[in-house]
Amino acid sequence: MSFITSYCHITSDSCLVNGGEIATRDLLSNDSWLKQIYKSQEFVYPKFYKMDSLSQAGFIASELIKRAQPNLSAYKDEEIAMLFGNQYSSADSDIRFKKSYEEHGAPSPALFVYTLPNIVLGEIAILNKWFGENLFVVLPKFAPDFFVSYAKILMSKGSEAVLCGWLGIWDEQINVFLFLVEKQGNAGMEFNVGNLHKLAGLEVV
Amino acid sequence: MIYIGAEEIISPLGKSVEKNFSAILENRTGISVADRAGFNGDSVYISNFLDLSEKNKFENLIVAILDQVIIKIDERIVSSARTIVLLSSTKGDLDNNINDQFGKTILTLATRYYLANQPIVVSNACISGVLAINTAGNFIKAGLYDHAIVIGCDLISDFVLFGFQSLFAISSQPCMPFDASRNGITMGEGCGVVVVSNSEVVFNEKPLKLLPGTSANDANHISGPSRTGEGLYRSVKRTMEMNNLFSADIDFISAHGTGTIYNDEMESIAFDRLDLTHAPLNSLKGYFGHTLGAAGIIETAISMQMLRNQILIKSLGFEQTGTSKELNIIKENKPAELRMILKTASGFGGGNASLLIQKP
Repeated sequence: MSFITSYCHITSDSCLVNGGEIATRDLLSNDSWLKQIYKSQEFVYPKFYKMDSLSQAGFIASELIKRAQPNLSAYKDEEIAMLFGNQYSSADSDIRFKKSYEEHGAPSPALFVYTLPNIVLGEIAILNKWFGENLFVVLPKFAPDFFVSYAKILMSKGSEAVLCGWLGIWDEQINVFLFLVEKQGNAGMEFNVGNLHKLAGLEVV
Repeated sequence: MIYIGAEEIISPLGKSVEKNFSAILENRTGISVADRAGFNGDSVYISNFLDLSEKNKFENLIVAILDQVIIKIDERIVSSARTIVLLSSTKGDLDNNINDQFGKTILTLATRYYLANQPIVVSNACISGVLAINTAGNFIKAGLYDHAIVIGCDLISDFVLFGFQSLFAISSQPCMPFDASRNGITMGEGCGVVVVSNSEVVFNEKPLKLLPGTSANDANHISGPSRTGEGLYRSVKRTMEMNNLFSADIDFISAHGTGTIYNDEMESIAFDRLDLTHAPLNSLKGYFGHTLGAAGIIETAISMQMLRNQILIKSLGFEQTGTSKELNIIKENKPAELRMILKTASGFGGGNASLLIQKP
Protein backbone atom coordinates (compact mmCIF):
# COMPACT_ATOMS: atom_id res chain seq x y z
CA MET A 1 0.00 0.00 0.00
CA SER A 2 1.14 3.56 -0.68
CA PHE A 3 -0.28 7.02 -0.11
CA ILE A 4 -0.35 10.48 -1.62
CA THR A 5 0.84 12.45 1.37
CA SER A 6 1.12 15.95 -0.07
CA TYR A 7 0.56 17.77 -3.35
CA CYS A 8 0.95 21.14 -4.98
CA HIS A 9 -0.77 22.81 -7.93
CA ILE A 10 0.55 25.85 -9.75
CA THR A 11 -1.45 27.39 -12.58
CA SER A 12 -1.02 30.72 -14.35
CA ASP A 13 -2.69 32.54 -11.48
CA SER A 14 -2.90 30.22 -8.51
CA CYS A 15 -0.62 28.28 -6.20
CA LEU A 16 -2.13 25.67 -3.89
CA VAL A 17 -0.63 23.26 -1.40
CA ASN A 18 -2.85 20.34 -0.43
CA GLY A 19 -5.72 22.25 -2.01
CA GLY A 20 -5.22 25.46 -0.03
CA GLU A 21 -4.17 28.67 -1.74
CA ILE A 22 -0.85 30.00 -0.47
CA ALA A 23 -0.11 32.91 -2.82
CA THR A 24 -2.09 35.22 -5.07
CA ARG A 25 -0.81 36.67 -8.28
CA ASP A 26 -0.27 40.40 -8.58
CA LEU A 27 -1.06 41.13 -12.21
CA LEU A 28 0.58 44.54 -11.98
CA SER A 29 3.92 43.18 -10.78
CA ASN A 30 6.95 43.22 -13.08
CA ASP A 31 7.96 39.85 -11.70
CA SER A 32 6.88 36.64 -13.36
CA TRP A 33 4.29 34.64 -11.45
CA LEU A 34 6.88 32.03 -10.46
CA LYS A 35 9.18 34.75 -9.16
CA GLN A 36 6.28 36.22 -7.19
CA ILE A 37 5.70 32.87 -5.49
CA TYR A 38 9.42 32.52 -4.79
CA LYS A 39 9.52 35.92 -3.11
CA SER A 40 6.24 35.59 -1.22
CA GLN A 41 7.35 32.26 0.22
CA GLU A 42 10.70 33.76 1.20
CA PHE A 43 12.78 31.10 -0.47
CA VAL A 44 16.52 31.74 -0.49
CA TYR A 45 18.20 29.90 -3.35
CA PRO A 46 19.90 32.37 -5.70
CA LYS A 47 20.30 29.66 -8.34
CA PHE A 48 16.53 29.99 -8.86
CA TYR A 49 17.18 33.12 -10.93
CA LYS A 50 19.34 31.20 -13.41
CA MET A 51 16.75 28.49 -13.98
CA ASP A 52 14.24 28.27 -16.81
CA SER A 53 10.52 28.25 -15.99
CA LEU A 54 10.35 24.45 -16.01
CA SER A 55 13.04 24.17 -13.34
CA GLN A 56 11.68 27.15 -11.39
CA ALA A 57 8.26 25.53 -11.23
CA GLY A 58 9.75 22.20 -10.18
CA PHE A 59 11.87 23.92 -7.55
CA ILE A 60 8.93 25.84 -6.05
CA ALA A 61 6.48 22.94 -6.04
CA SER A 62 9.01 20.49 -4.57
CA GLU A 63 10.03 22.95 -1.85
CA LEU A 64 6.39 23.58 -0.96
CA ILE A 65 5.80 19.83 -0.72
CA LYS A 66 8.83 19.55 1.56
CA ARG A 67 7.42 22.23 3.83
CA ALA A 68 4.10 20.40 3.97
CA GLN A 69 5.79 17.07 4.56
CA PRO A 70 8.94 17.78 6.61
CA ASN A 71 9.51 14.09 7.37
CA LEU A 72 10.92 13.79 3.82
CA SER A 73 14.34 14.58 5.27
CA ALA A 74 14.21 11.33 7.26
CA TYR A 75 14.67 9.24 4.11
CA LYS A 76 18.10 8.05 3.03
CA ASP A 77 19.55 9.89 0.05
CA GLU A 78 18.80 7.03 -2.37
CA GLU A 79 15.27 6.34 -1.18
CA ILE A 80 13.45 9.19 -2.89
CA ALA A 81 12.84 8.67 -6.60
CA MET A 82 11.56 11.30 -9.02
CA LEU A 83 9.08 10.57 -11.78
CA PHE A 84 8.21 13.60 -13.89
CA GLY A 85 6.54 14.23 -17.21
CA ASN A 86 4.85 16.78 -19.41
CA GLN A 87 3.49 17.28 -22.92
CA TYR A 88 5.87 19.99 -24.16
CA SER A 89 9.29 18.58 -23.27
CA SER A 90 11.51 21.68 -22.93
CA ALA A 91 9.92 23.55 -25.87
CA ASP A 92 9.71 26.83 -23.96
CA SER A 93 13.49 26.92 -23.43
CA ASP A 94 14.15 25.41 -26.85
CA ILE A 95 12.46 28.38 -28.51
CA ARG A 96 14.49 30.81 -26.41
CA PHE A 97 17.75 29.05 -27.23
CA LYS A 98 16.96 28.97 -30.95
CA LYS A 99 16.33 32.72 -30.85
CA SER A 100 19.75 33.25 -29.25
CA TYR A 101 21.57 32.11 -32.38
CA GLU A 102 18.99 33.07 -35.00
CA GLU A 103 18.18 36.56 -33.78
CA HIS A 104 20.61 37.53 -31.04
CA GLY A 105 23.96 36.75 -32.56
CA ALA A 106 25.28 33.69 -30.76
CA PRO A 107 24.05 30.45 -29.17
CA SER A 108 23.66 31.00 -25.44
CA PRO A 109 25.22 28.25 -23.29
CA ALA A 110 23.17 29.40 -20.29
CA LEU A 111 19.97 28.75 -22.26
CA PHE A 112 21.24 25.59 -23.98
CA VAL A 113 21.74 23.69 -20.72
CA TYR A 114 18.00 24.02 -20.05
CA THR A 115 16.95 22.57 -23.42
CA LEU A 116 16.34 19.13 -21.92
CA PRO A 117 13.22 18.41 -19.88
CA ASN A 118 15.03 16.29 -17.27
CA ILE A 119 17.23 19.19 -16.11
CA VAL A 120 14.59 19.98 -13.48
CA LEU A 121 15.24 16.54 -11.95
CA GLY A 122 18.91 17.45 -11.72
CA GLU A 123 18.11 20.79 -10.08
CA ILE A 124 15.93 19.17 -7.42
CA ALA A 125 18.45 16.35 -6.87
CA ILE A 126 21.30 18.84 -6.43
CA LEU A 127 19.37 20.97 -3.96
CA ASN A 128 18.34 18.00 -1.83
CA LYS A 129 21.33 15.72 -2.42
CA TRP A 130 19.01 12.99 -3.64
CA PHE A 131 20.75 10.13 -5.46
CA GLY A 132 17.62 8.11 -6.25
CA GLU A 133 16.01 6.87 -9.46
CA ASN A 134 14.93 9.49 -12.04
CA LEU A 135 12.67 9.30 -15.07
CA PHE A 136 11.22 12.03 -17.28
CA VAL A 137 8.60 11.11 -19.86
CA VAL A 138 6.75 13.05 -22.53
CA LEU A 139 3.08 12.16 -22.90
CA PRO A 140 0.28 13.97 -24.77
CA LYS A 141 -1.58 14.53 -21.49
CA PHE A 142 -1.38 13.75 -17.80
CA ALA A 143 -1.87 10.01 -17.43
CA PRO A 144 -2.76 8.97 -13.85
CA ASP A 145 -2.48 5.27 -14.71
CA PHE A 146 1.11 5.69 -15.89
CA PHE A 147 2.13 7.56 -12.75
CA VAL A 148 0.43 5.05 -10.46
CA SER A 149 1.88 1.99 -12.16
CA TYR A 150 5.41 3.32 -12.58
CA ALA A 151 5.70 4.91 -9.13
CA LYS A 152 4.62 1.57 -7.66
CA ILE A 153 7.27 -0.19 -9.74
CA LEU A 154 9.91 2.21 -8.38
CA MET A 155 8.72 1.52 -4.84
CA SER A 156 8.98 -2.22 -5.47
CA LYS A 157 12.64 -1.72 -6.47
CA GLY A 158 13.89 0.02 -3.34
CA SER A 159 12.47 3.55 -3.43
CA GLU A 160 10.57 4.43 -0.26
CA ALA A 161 9.00 7.59 -1.65
CA VAL A 162 8.43 8.97 -5.15
CA LEU A 163 8.11 12.65 -5.92
CA CYS A 164 5.92 12.72 -9.01
CA GLY A 165 5.25 15.70 -11.19
CA TRP A 166 3.47 16.99 -14.25
CA LEU A 167 5.17 20.14 -15.47
CA GLY A 168 3.09 21.76 -18.19
CA ILE A 169 5.03 24.92 -18.91
CA TRP A 170 4.36 26.79 -22.10
CA ASP A 171 5.22 30.46 -22.28
CA GLU A 172 2.77 32.12 -19.86
CA GLN A 173 0.66 29.00 -19.46
CA ILE A 174 1.46 27.02 -16.36
CA ASN A 175 -0.12 23.72 -15.37
CA VAL A 176 1.99 22.17 -12.68
CA PHE A 177 0.94 19.35 -10.39
CA LEU A 178 3.48 17.72 -8.08
CA PHE A 179 2.59 15.03 -5.58
CA LEU A 180 4.48 12.96 -3.09
CA VAL A 181 3.85 9.25 -2.79
CA GLU A 182 5.08 7.38 0.26
CA LYS A 183 4.87 3.78 1.39
CA GLN A 184 4.02 5.01 4.88
CA GLY A 185 1.37 7.71 4.90
CA ASN A 186 0.09 9.67 7.88
CA ALA A 187 -3.40 10.76 6.96
CA GLY A 188 -2.57 10.46 3.29
CA MET A 189 -4.91 9.42 0.52
CA GLU A 190 -4.52 5.94 -0.90
CA PHE A 191 -2.40 6.10 -4.05
CA ASN A 192 -4.62 4.86 -6.86
CA VAL A 193 -5.78 6.08 -10.25
CA GLY A 194 -9.15 7.31 -8.99
CA ASN A 195 -7.71 9.42 -6.19
CA LEU A 196 -4.94 10.76 -8.37
CA HIS A 197 -7.44 11.72 -11.05
CA LYS A 198 -9.53 13.54 -8.46
CA LEU A 199 -6.56 15.40 -6.99
CA ALA A 200 -5.08 16.37 -10.32
CA GLY A 201 -8.25 18.27 -11.15
CA LEU A 202 -9.41 19.39 -14.54
CA GLU A 203 -6.67 21.96 -14.73
CA VAL A 204 -4.15 19.31 -15.65
CA VAL A 205 -5.05 18.26 -19.16
CA MET B 1 12.88 -14.20 -17.17
CA ILE B 2 13.16 -11.14 -19.39
CA TYR B 3 14.55 -11.40 -22.88
CA ILE B 4 16.08 -8.83 -25.18
CA GLY B 5 16.64 -9.28 -28.87
CA ALA B 6 15.72 -8.28 -32.42
CA GLU B 7 18.24 -5.44 -32.24
CA GLU B 8 18.39 -3.16 -35.27
CA ILE B 9 20.41 -0.07 -36.18
CA ILE B 10 20.16 2.54 -38.91
CA SER B 11 23.18 4.82 -38.78
CA PRO B 12 25.62 6.53 -41.12
CA LEU B 13 27.56 3.23 -40.99
CA GLY B 14 24.71 1.22 -42.51
CA LYS B 15 21.00 0.59 -42.66
CA SER B 16 20.86 -2.68 -40.75
CA VAL B 17 22.45 -4.08 -37.61
CA GLU B 18 24.43 -6.53 -39.76
CA LYS B 19 25.90 -3.70 -41.87
CA ASN B 20 26.67 -1.67 -38.78
CA PHE B 21 28.37 -4.56 -37.05
CA SER B 22 30.44 -5.50 -40.09
CA ALA B 23 31.56 -1.86 -40.44
CA ILE B 24 32.57 -1.90 -36.79
CA LEU B 25 34.43 -5.19 -37.21
CA GLU B 26 36.48 -3.35 -39.82
CA ASN B 27 36.85 -0.45 -37.36
CA ARG B 28 35.26 1.97 -39.80
CA THR B 29 33.74 5.20 -38.51
CA GLY B 30 30.69 7.19 -39.56
CA ILE B 31 32.48 10.40 -38.63
CA SER B 32 33.63 12.77 -41.36
CA VAL B 33 34.27 16.47 -41.66
CA ALA B 34 31.27 18.66 -42.48
CA ASP B 35 32.37 21.85 -44.16
CA ARG B 36 30.98 25.02 -42.63
CA ALA B 37 28.35 23.07 -40.67
CA GLY B 38 29.14 24.72 -37.37
CA PHE B 39 28.18 28.09 -36.00
CA ASN B 40 29.91 30.96 -37.81
CA GLY B 41 30.74 28.56 -40.64
CA ASP B 42 33.23 26.46 -38.70
CA SER B 43 33.97 23.04 -40.14
CA VAL B 44 33.21 20.30 -37.66
CA TYR B 45 33.49 16.53 -37.45
CA ILE B 46 30.12 14.82 -37.25
CA SER B 47 28.64 11.38 -37.95
CA ASN B 48 25.68 12.20 -40.15
CA PHE B 49 23.58 10.54 -42.83
CA LEU B 50 24.87 11.66 -46.20
CA ASP B 51 22.14 9.97 -48.23
CA LEU B 52 18.82 10.66 -46.48
CA SER B 53 16.26 13.28 -47.40
CA GLU B 54 15.86 15.91 -44.68
CA LYS B 55 12.10 15.84 -45.15
CA ASN B 56 10.41 13.98 -42.30
CA LYS B 57 13.76 12.38 -41.50
CA PHE B 58 12.97 11.63 -37.85
CA GLU B 59 9.66 9.94 -38.56
CA ASN B 60 10.97 8.13 -41.66
CA LEU B 61 13.87 6.64 -39.71
CA ILE B 62 11.59 5.35 -36.99
CA VAL B 63 9.13 3.86 -39.46
CA ALA B 64 12.00 2.27 -41.39
CA ILE B 65 13.49 0.67 -38.31
CA LEU B 66 10.12 -0.59 -37.08
CA ASP B 67 9.51 -2.19 -40.46
CA GLN B 68 12.89 -3.90 -40.11
CA VAL B 69 12.32 -5.10 -36.57
CA ILE B 70 8.86 -6.50 -37.31
CA ILE B 71 10.30 -9.16 -39.59
CA LYS B 72 12.56 -10.30 -36.75
CA ILE B 73 9.74 -10.99 -34.30
CA ASP B 74 6.24 -12.44 -34.17
CA GLU B 75 4.59 -9.50 -35.88
CA ARG B 76 1.33 -9.96 -33.97
CA ILE B 77 2.88 -8.51 -30.82
CA VAL B 78 3.24 -5.05 -32.38
CA SER B 79 -0.45 -4.19 -32.12
CA SER B 80 -1.10 -6.34 -29.07
CA ALA B 81 -2.70 -4.79 -25.98
CA ARG B 82 0.18 -6.42 -24.06
CA THR B 83 2.83 -4.36 -25.89
CA ILE B 84 4.19 -0.92 -25.08
CA VAL B 85 6.33 1.18 -27.43
CA LEU B 86 8.98 3.36 -25.80
CA LEU B 87 10.74 6.09 -27.75
CA SER B 88 14.04 7.39 -26.41
CA SER B 89 14.94 10.81 -27.77
CA THR B 90 16.16 14.20 -26.61
CA LYS B 91 15.18 16.57 -29.40
CA GLY B 92 12.83 14.45 -31.52
CA ASP B 93 11.51 16.16 -34.60
CA LEU B 94 12.67 19.58 -33.43
CA ASP B 95 13.46 20.91 -36.90
CA ASN B 96 9.91 20.24 -38.10
CA ASN B 97 8.02 21.35 -35.02
CA ILE B 98 9.85 22.87 -32.09
CA ASN B 99 6.54 23.31 -30.22
CA ASP B 100 5.67 19.64 -30.29
CA GLN B 101 8.74 17.53 -30.96
CA PHE B 102 7.18 14.07 -30.64
CA GLY B 103 3.43 14.39 -31.20
CA LYS B 104 3.25 13.84 -34.94
CA THR B 105 5.69 10.91 -34.97
CA ILE B 106 3.86 9.20 -32.11
CA LEU B 107 0.55 9.64 -33.90
CA THR B 108 2.01 8.18 -37.10
CA LEU B 109 3.31 5.15 -35.21
CA ALA B 110 0.04 4.63 -33.37
CA THR B 111 -2.05 4.69 -36.55
CA ARG B 112 0.37 2.97 -38.93
CA TYR B 113 1.05 0.02 -36.61
CA TYR B 114 -2.35 -0.07 -34.85
CA LEU B 115 -0.68 0.34 -31.47
CA ALA B 116 -3.01 -0.57 -28.60
CA ASN B 117 -1.23 1.56 -25.98
CA GLN B 118 -0.10 5.17 -25.96
CA PRO B 119 3.67 5.14 -26.66
CA ILE B 120 5.86 6.70 -23.97
CA VAL B 121 8.68 9.09 -24.84
CA VAL B 122 11.64 8.80 -22.47
CA SER B 123 13.56 12.08 -22.56
CA ASN B 124 16.41 12.09 -20.04
CA ALA B 125 19.29 13.55 -22.01
CA CYS B 126 22.10 11.11 -22.77
CA ILE B 127 20.88 8.33 -20.47
CA SER B 128 17.50 8.12 -22.24
CA GLY B 129 18.31 4.94 -24.16
CA VAL B 130 19.59 2.88 -21.23
CA LEU B 131 16.77 4.23 -19.07
CA ALA B 132 14.16 3.34 -21.71
CA ILE B 133 15.40 -0.26 -21.86
CA ASN B 134 15.33 -0.44 -18.05
CA THR B 135 11.84 1.04 -18.04
CA ALA B 136 10.74 -1.62 -20.52
CA GLY B 137 12.22 -4.34 -18.33
CA ASN B 138 10.52 -2.90 -15.24
CA PHE B 139 7.12 -2.77 -16.95
CA ILE B 140 7.39 -6.38 -18.05
CA LYS B 141 8.72 -7.65 -14.74
CA ALA B 142 5.77 -5.99 -12.99
CA GLY B 143 3.39 -7.72 -15.39
CA LEU B 144 1.98 -4.51 -16.85
CA TYR B 145 2.99 -5.57 -20.35
CA ASP B 146 4.46 -8.68 -21.93
CA HIS B 147 6.48 -6.99 -24.66
CA ALA B 148 8.16 -3.64 -25.28
CA ILE B 149 9.58 -2.20 -28.47
CA VAL B 150 12.25 0.31 -27.46
CA ILE B 151 13.32 2.75 -30.16
CA GLY B 152 16.02 5.39 -29.86
CA CYS B 153 16.41 8.20 -32.38
CA ASP B 154 18.08 11.60 -32.49
CA LEU B 155 19.24 13.79 -35.35
CA ILE B 156 22.00 16.33 -35.75
CA SER B 157 20.60 19.84 -36.08
CA ASP B 158 22.01 23.35 -35.90
CA PHE B 159 20.28 23.47 -32.54
CA VAL B 160 22.29 20.71 -30.87
CA LEU B 161 25.50 21.38 -32.75
CA PHE B 162 25.54 25.12 -31.98
CA GLY B 163 24.52 24.34 -28.41
CA PHE B 164 27.42 22.00 -27.78
CA GLN B 165 29.72 24.45 -29.57
CA SER B 166 28.55 27.18 -27.20
CA LEU B 167 29.68 24.94 -24.32
CA PHE B 168 33.07 24.40 -26.04
CA ALA B 169 32.29 20.70 -25.92
CA ILE B 170 32.85 19.79 -29.59
CA SER B 171 36.04 17.91 -30.42
CA SER B 172 38.44 19.43 -32.93
CA GLN B 173 39.12 15.93 -34.30
CA PRO B 174 36.96 12.79 -34.45
CA CYS B 175 36.27 12.14 -30.76
CA MET B 176 38.87 10.11 -28.82
CA PRO B 177 37.11 8.66 -25.77
CA PHE B 178 39.39 8.02 -22.77
CA ASP B 179 42.49 9.08 -24.73
CA ALA B 180 45.05 11.49 -23.30
CA SER B 181 44.49 14.00 -26.13
CA ARG B 182 40.68 13.91 -26.14
CA ASN B 183 39.06 17.30 -26.24
CA GLY B 184 35.35 16.86 -26.67
CA ILE B 185 32.43 15.08 -28.26
CA THR B 186 31.60 14.43 -31.89
CA MET B 187 27.90 14.71 -32.63
CA GLY B 188 26.20 11.77 -34.28
CA GLU B 189 22.76 10.83 -35.53
CA GLY B 190 21.07 7.50 -35.84
CA CYS B 191 18.28 5.19 -34.87
CA GLY B 192 18.27 1.92 -32.96
CA VAL B 193 15.74 -0.53 -31.61
CA VAL B 194 15.59 -3.53 -29.28
CA VAL B 195 12.64 -5.69 -28.30
CA VAL B 196 12.17 -6.68 -24.66
CA SER B 197 9.78 -9.50 -23.81
CA ASN B 198 8.89 -12.13 -21.23
CA SER B 199 8.53 -14.64 -24.05
CA GLU B 200 11.47 -16.28 -25.79
CA VAL B 201 9.41 -17.50 -28.73
CA VAL B 202 8.41 -14.09 -30.11
CA PHE B 203 11.98 -13.68 -31.38
CA ASN B 204 13.06 -15.31 -34.65
CA GLU B 205 16.67 -15.38 -33.53
CA LYS B 206 17.43 -16.61 -30.00
CA PRO B 207 17.30 -13.61 -27.65
CA LEU B 208 19.63 -12.67 -24.82
CA LYS B 209 18.67 -12.08 -21.18
CA LEU B 210 18.05 -8.60 -19.79
CA LEU B 211 18.74 -8.24 -16.09
CA PRO B 212 17.11 -5.46 -14.03
CA GLY B 213 19.00 -2.15 -14.15
CA THR B 214 18.87 1.09 -12.18
CA SER B 215 19.49 4.81 -12.45
CA ALA B 216 20.95 7.30 -9.98
CA ASN B 217 21.33 11.05 -10.00
CA ASP B 218 24.74 12.63 -9.34
CA ALA B 219 23.12 15.45 -7.31
CA ASN B 220 26.11 17.52 -8.36
CA HIS B 221 25.70 19.79 -11.43
CA ILE B 222 23.19 20.08 -14.28
CA SER B 223 25.78 20.08 -17.06
CA GLY B 224 28.98 18.75 -15.50
CA PRO B 225 29.75 15.25 -14.24
CA SER B 226 30.48 14.56 -10.59
CA ARG B 227 34.19 14.51 -9.80
CA THR B 228 33.76 11.39 -7.71
CA GLY B 229 31.54 9.57 -10.19
CA GLU B 230 28.99 9.23 -7.41
CA GLY B 231 25.85 8.74 -9.51
CA LEU B 232 27.45 6.26 -11.89
CA TYR B 233 29.03 4.43 -8.98
CA ARG B 234 25.70 4.17 -7.19
CA SER B 235 23.76 3.11 -10.26
CA VAL B 236 26.19 0.32 -11.19
CA LYS B 237 26.54 -0.77 -7.57
CA ARG B 238 22.77 -1.04 -7.17
CA THR B 239 22.39 -2.85 -10.48
CA MET B 240 25.04 -5.42 -9.52
CA GLU B 241 23.70 -5.88 -6.00
CA MET B 242 20.17 -6.32 -7.28
CA ASN B 243 21.42 -9.18 -9.47
CA ASN B 244 23.82 -10.62 -6.88
CA LEU B 245 26.81 -10.02 -9.11
CA PHE B 246 30.40 -9.14 -8.29
CA SER B 247 32.91 -7.21 -10.34
CA ALA B 248 34.57 -10.47 -11.45
CA ASP B 249 31.29 -11.46 -13.13
CA ILE B 250 31.46 -8.59 -15.64
CA ASP B 251 33.11 -9.66 -18.90
CA PHE B 252 32.81 -6.38 -20.74
CA ILE B 253 31.72 -2.77 -20.17
CA SER B 254 30.11 -0.71 -22.90
CA ALA B 255 30.91 2.65 -21.34
CA HIS B 256 29.41 6.04 -22.14
CA GLY B 257 32.81 7.57 -23.03
CA THR B 258 31.84 10.83 -24.73
CA GLY B 259 35.38 12.06 -25.25
CA THR B 260 35.13 15.13 -23.02
CA ILE B 261 37.87 15.59 -20.45
CA TYR B 262 35.53 15.54 -17.45
CA ASN B 263 33.07 12.83 -18.45
CA ASP B 264 35.70 10.21 -19.24
CA GLU B 265 37.67 11.07 -16.13
CA MET B 266 34.49 10.72 -14.05
CA GLU B 267 33.80 7.30 -15.54
CA SER B 268 37.32 6.08 -14.80
CA ILE B 269 36.91 7.12 -11.16
CA ALA B 270 33.52 5.42 -10.87
CA PHE B 271 34.79 2.16 -12.45
CA ASP B 272 37.83 2.25 -10.20
CA ARG B 273 35.60 2.66 -7.13
CA LEU B 274 33.55 -0.26 -8.41
CA ASP B 275 36.64 -2.46 -8.76
CA LEU B 276 35.91 -2.79 -12.48
CA THR B 277 39.16 -1.51 -13.98
CA HIS B 278 40.06 -5.06 -15.02
CA ALA B 279 37.01 -5.47 -17.25
CA PRO B 280 37.57 -4.93 -20.98
CA LEU B 281 35.84 -1.67 -21.87
CA ASN B 282 35.08 0.42 -24.91
CA SER B 283 33.21 3.50 -25.96
CA LEU B 284 31.43 3.26 -29.31
CA LYS B 285 31.33 7.05 -29.78
CA GLY B 286 34.37 6.80 -32.10
CA TYR B 287 32.17 4.88 -34.56
CA PHE B 288 28.80 6.62 -34.23
CA GLY B 289 29.62 9.94 -32.58
CA HIS B 290 27.32 10.88 -29.72
CA THR B 291 23.81 10.09 -30.86
CA LEU B 292 22.23 11.46 -27.63
CA GLY B 293 18.88 9.74 -27.06
CA ALA B 294 19.72 7.00 -29.56
CA ALA B 295 23.16 6.28 -28.05
CA GLY B 296 22.01 3.92 -25.30
CA ILE B 297 19.98 1.84 -27.74
CA ILE B 298 22.56 1.73 -30.54
CA GLU B 299 25.39 0.92 -28.13
CA THR B 300 23.32 -1.77 -26.40
CA ALA B 301 22.51 -3.27 -29.81
CA ILE B 302 26.22 -3.40 -30.73
CA SER B 303 27.05 -4.88 -27.32
CA MET B 304 24.43 -7.58 -27.99
CA GLN B 305 26.15 -8.30 -31.30
CA MET B 306 29.46 -8.58 -29.48
CA LEU B 307 27.87 -11.07 -27.11
CA ARG B 308 26.35 -13.06 -29.94
CA ASN B 309 29.62 -13.07 -31.90
CA GLN B 310 31.88 -13.48 -28.84
CA ILE B 311 34.21 -10.69 -29.83
CA LEU B 312 35.55 -7.60 -28.13
CA ILE B 313 35.55 -4.48 -30.28
CA LYS B 314 38.29 -1.89 -30.24
CA SER B 315 37.52 1.46 -28.60
CA LEU B 316 38.11 3.60 -31.68
CA GLY B 317 40.09 6.79 -31.05
CA PHE B 318 41.88 5.51 -27.97
CA GLU B 319 45.66 5.21 -27.95
CA GLN B 320 47.07 6.44 -24.69
CA THR B 321 45.66 6.43 -21.17
CA GLY B 322 44.20 9.82 -20.42
CA THR B 323 42.32 9.26 -17.20
CA SER B 324 43.65 9.27 -13.64
CA LYS B 325 42.46 5.69 -13.15
CA GLU B 326 43.68 3.27 -15.78
CA LEU B 327 40.95 1.26 -17.45
CA ASN B 328 41.24 -1.91 -19.51
CA ILE B 329 40.37 -0.22 -22.79
CA ILE B 330 40.17 -2.53 -25.78
CA LYS B 331 42.89 -1.63 -28.29
CA GLU B 332 42.22 -4.29 -30.95
CA ASN B 333 39.25 -6.44 -31.86
CA LYS B 334 39.71 -9.86 -30.32
CA PRO B 335 37.64 -13.01 -29.78
CA ALA B 336 36.67 -13.51 -26.15
CA GLU B 337 34.36 -15.56 -24.01
CA LEU B 338 31.63 -13.11 -23.12
CA ARG B 339 28.76 -13.95 -20.87
CA MET B 340 27.80 -10.82 -18.91
CA ILE B 341 28.01 -7.29 -20.22
CA LEU B 342 27.43 -4.01 -18.43
CA LYS B 343 26.14 -0.97 -20.34
CA THR B 344 26.31 2.44 -18.70
CA ALA B 345 25.30 5.98 -19.57
CA SER B 346 25.70 9.38 -17.93
CA GLY B 347 24.32 12.73 -18.96
CA PHE B 348 23.13 16.27 -18.40
CA GLY B 349 20.77 16.72 -15.50
CA GLY B 350 23.07 14.48 -13.44
CA GLY B 351 21.56 11.25 -14.76
CA ASN B 352 23.37 7.90 -14.70
CA ALA B 353 21.95 4.54 -15.70
CA SER B 354 23.18 0.99 -16.07
CA LEU B 355 21.92 -2.32 -17.37
CA LEU B 356 23.18 -5.88 -17.72
CA ILE B 357 22.77 -8.32 -20.57
CA GLN B 358 23.58 -11.98 -20.23
CA LYS B 359 24.16 -14.71 -22.76
CA PRO B 360 21.86 -17.57 -21.74
